[in-house]
Amino acid sequence: MSYALQTLWHEKTRYAAGVGAVAFSALLIALQVGLLLGLFEMTSIPVDHTTADIWVGANDVPSVDLGRPIPSSYMARLDKPGVQMPELLYLAFANWTKQSGGSNLCTIVGSGMGADDAGAADVLTPEMRLALSEPRTVVVDRSDLDRLGVQEVGDKGTINGVEVRLVGIVSELRSLAAPWVFCSHTTAQEILVVTNPQYRDHTTFLLVRCDSKQRAKEVAAELKKEYPEMSVETADDFSTKTRIYWLTRTKAGVALGYAALLGLLVGALITAQTLYAATMASAKEFATLLALGIPRRKIAGMVLAQSFWVGIVGVVLAYPVVYGLGKLAETAGARVHLRWEVILGASVLTMMTSILAGVFALRSVRGIEPMSLLR
Amino acid sequence: MGTQSNNLSLQAVDLTKSFGDGAQRRLALRNVSLDLYRGQFALLMGPSGSGKSTLLAVLSGLLNPDSGKVLSQDNGKTVDVWALKPGQREQFRLNHVGFIFQGYNLFPALTARQQLEIVLKWGQDVSHSEARERSAAMLESLGLGSQMEKKPAQLSGGEKQRVAIGRALVKGPGLIFADEPTSALDWENGQQVVGLLRDAAKTQGATIFVVSHDHRILPFVDVAYHLEDGRLQQMSSPAVVAETEVTS
Repeated sequence: MSYALQTLWHEKTRYAAGVGAVAFSALLIALQVGLLLGLFEMTSIPVDHTTADIWVGANDVPSVDLGRPIPSSYMARLDKPGVQMPELLYLAFANWTKQSGGSNLCTIVGSGMGADDAGAADVLTPEMRLALSEPRTVVVDRSDLDRLGVQEVGDKGTINGVEVRLVGIVSELRSLAAPWVFCSHTTAQEILVVTNPQYRDHTTFLLVRCDSKQRAKEVAAELKKEYPEMSVETADDFSTKTRIYWLTRTKAGVALGYAALLGLLVGALITAQTLYAATMASAKEFATLLALGIPRRKIAGMVLAQSFWVGIVGVVLAYPVVYGLGKLAETAGARVHLRWEVILGASVLTMMTSILAGVFALRSVRGIEPMSLLR
Repeated sequence: MGTQSNNLSLQAVDLTKSFGDGAQRRLALRNVSLDLYRGQFALLMGPSGSGKSTLLAVLSGLLNPDSGKVLSQDNGKTVDVWALKPGQREQFRLNHVGFIFQGYNLFPALTARQQLEIVLKWGQDVSHSEARERSAAMLESLGLGSQMEKKPAQLSGGEKQRVAIGRALVKGPGLIFADEPTSALDWENGQQVVGLLRDAAKTQGATIFVVSHDHRILPFVDVAYHLEDGRLQQMSSPAVVAETEVTS
């Protein structure tokens, strides 16, 4: 065991504040990012809950809910080896009018309703798909019922002036801004044409499945090159792109950045102060080593090693708490998405902060003089 | 005399040191000259504030004198310690100088053996296994063989001071400076410490320079000096002085 780690273990109470501060910083960052990612997962639901490998849309589409009409004839462009038959997906904002009056923006998601259709949301049961094949029928998420002024299957609403009937309620397709309204191609086209006649022969996206993920990447790259006027993304990329767009557009990322920075700053200050005090407490021992001719950099190295171990212990202690609190938040209905990238990123940031605190604490080493030992 | 001058390990030439400015200026060392030899156990006594610690600091390369020289040997060459660059002086202390202070200054988290190891590993880049062996051997020779895995809190005052002596001796320095090494100990332990320092002088040929108020050390030393008001005087035969101190 290194001298630094041994000292940390022996003087646990002295270092507890620093370790606690580091753990708190790591916890704050990981939980905040996890919560935000969980929140913004809702923005890419149409991508994540379908089984297409490639999404083709209008040029420069920043997010799945901001597609523009493209000619359905682009379908022919997707005729390539290893690529299955393309499907249309209508996805656009529309105005939902409640039976009781008042209206709400919603997002129409119109896809094929076959059992094997790539564009149909995976949680739509065969019964729902069958019911949706009847024109002017829709399925919505349970969490959006109030916003849409409906309560149960059979209730009605009006979208862009077209009266629709609720034929199913799902519970995993929550929305952030405008409720997702799932329906068939026919229903979607009828609703969207009212406000945008282009939808007579246009679609919002073309979806295809490929023989493999690898083939999907190749095809996406080829299509991007051949047709710069279309946006071509693999499903994974489009999902990420959508979430990042929402994260930046809503400035939630900025708010998160500030909160994380504040957490790191407080963590750094407390850790620096802890290390400073610990070094000063050992000033006589270090002064003796300096008198014996031990280079000052060795002592600085020990302080930095201590800051490293404070960081490691803090991060290790933080994660069980992060997972615990994450689970707690999920029971309360919030999603906490603790991806490994989040854990790794929070750990790296926190470790860097801890070591930076060690660098600040080095001024204590500069002040140590062997002469102080001679009265 | 020729043999003696060959054995010269440290020579102070006309050292002066003052503190403060103007009317506040106080001379701590006034033209102090001193010769110390290999294997010699020297004692410096004097009233509080007489400049004893200042002289120790100047001789050991910790405090710059206003004027004068401190000459020593480094790789067979005579060097003026205060003409060296700071880095070279640090290296000189690392190679040749050991310190024992009144406080033991041991790291609370480290075992007795590790207190010594750290000096070898950090100072001389000695391998872990060699540092371990040399530290253990040193502690054995100081009668601490059974205590080497204990931390300072588990050791008595005398044992702690012996560990501190081990830390000063483990790198095999030619010059050992001790500042009031017995003042925190009862005489039984103090005597043991003095005995160990004398052994280091006689068996390792080291020069031991002890600053102390403790007259009971006098019978053990080869030469004793008295410093008062910044002026150094060699005392007559230490044994005689000791006798006088005891009878008076």
